[in-house]
Amino acid sequence: MELSITGTNALTYPVIHVWDWRVAIYLFLGGLSGGLMTMSAINYLRPSRKGPLQSVCCWQIPVLAPILLTIGLFFLWLDLERKLHGYLFYMTFKPLSPMSWGAWIVLIIFPVMILYALAALPDEVKGGIKNSFVKNLADAMAPHLAFLAKLNVVFGILLSIYTGILLSTFVARPLWNSAILPLLFLASGMSTGAAVMIIVAKSKEVKLFFTKLDIWLILGELLILALLFYGHYTGDAAHQAAIMPFFNSSHETFPYFLSIIVIGIVLPLAIVMKFLEVTGKRTEEVTGFGLFLMTTSAILVLIGGAIVRFALVYAGQLSGYGYTMM
Amino acid sequence: MPRYAMVIDQSRCIGCMACVVSCKRENDVPPEHYRTRVLEMVQGSFPDLTTEMRSELCNHCDNAPCVNICPTGASHHEEDGTVQINRKKCVGCKACVTSCPYNARYINEEHGYADKCSFCQQRLAEGKKPACVATCVGGSRIFGDLDDPQSEISIILRKNSHRVLNKAVGTGPNVYYINQYPKRA
Repeated sequence: MELSITGTNALTYPVIHVWDWRVAIYLFLGGLSGGLMTMSAINYLRPSRKGPLQSVCCWQIPVLAPILLTIGLFFLWLDLERKLHGYLFYMTFKPLSPMSWGAWIVLIIFPVMILYALAALPDEVKGGIKNSFVKNLADAMAPHLAFLAKLNVVFGILLSIYTGILLSTFVARPLWNSAILPLLFLASGMSTGAAVMIIVAKSKEVKLFFTKLDIWLILGELLILALLFYGHYTGDAAHQAAIMPFFNSSHETFPYFLSIIVIGIVLPLAIVMKFLEVTGKRTEEVTGFGLFLMTTSAILVLIGGAIVRFALVYAGQLSGYGYTMM
Repeated sequence: MPRYAMVIDQSRCIGCMACVVSCKRENDVPPEHYRTRVLEMVQGSFPDLTTEMRSELCNHCDNAPCVNICPTGASHHEEDGTVQINRKKCVGCKACVTSCPYNARYINEEHGYADKCSFCQQRLAEGKKPACVATCVGGSRIFGDLDDPQSEISIILRKNSHRVLNKAVGTGPNVYYINQYPKRA
């Protein structure tokens, strides 16, 4: 069929690319930030933890989470066409709008993240704080560390899964319009969170714990990704067409084809490296080779997680209800 | 209160694009954007060709995804059933552009707000028909009030088989297309 159209928007036809790398970065950092909240809280709460929190894990992780979320939100703000109107998000609450939920969820999550970060500060760091209000707040929060950690597990999951919920509600974009997409973003967010824990943690015991946990999270991520594709493949014509860019090596869709190949290499490779480390010889200290394995595999997980977000944000906007299907 | 809708009779469209031009003039649409478009779909192999002309615009859906997703209430339903944009409230988050299954929206780059066909709200207020309807030389676009059983649009929809685009998406569109029947040898 030959199709010519008079009067189309360069922006919206033949494909929309309304949301670009700025939104993809926000989704990645939002998921990562949620993953860090949950993972650092799990590290504190787990019964197998040896020794006090400060000696086994870094206080930097809970501090890093709100910083990364702030950077992500900065990119989201950059994406707004009317940046000075941003306050309008908070002049109303729209119960049917996932965009509106997101704006308000962030406002609720920030205090939870920051209070947990303050509560987890070790004494030597607290001593260096000049601002008396922050110092007093950190002292006041310290006894509530366990409760704040539990809150962080829940809110971290909420933040990580929200990024997927937003996209999954778009009926117009078949690739995103799947109930399993939020779970994919949750698994991806949590696995990147665990990866950063592995990189930053000092003790071998913590590194090893999160290496084991990450194996399961990556397996979950790969399984959900396969199920997402399979669900679309068994769906209607629009859903079937939506996944085609990933399986078509032609000139136009090559980046998506490549993204699946890279994901199919880096994530399984990360699993293998982690498996080698977990099943390797037990030593008290981290060996040079072990450190190399864990850090490299963690970086691979971060790369894989970023590719998942970017590929889905861009490919989702290629999908739609085509002109021949009306 | 009226409930506005539009009927497109594809058999009366000659593809002159007057609707596209009049819409741009009436609504001061930026050069690179359009609120309505006409698709020309040619099928078959020469010399046995058939052409379908299809005008498309915002469908002013009853269950509009753009209204649901809008975080500030800028995209909203008016009492007459049309979907309109309050430009003062728009932050330019582009969620509505992404959420439209009919790709009917665009961002006005100069001012940053989302924009689309408004059924020429300003003309309706003066008792006129939308610019594309008023200018259509073949009478392909028919506009009117669905709540008035005697309106031209109500009678046409009662007497003719019709369809909407992408019914399965479930947004409840209010732009109807008259079905054409096969030509027999």
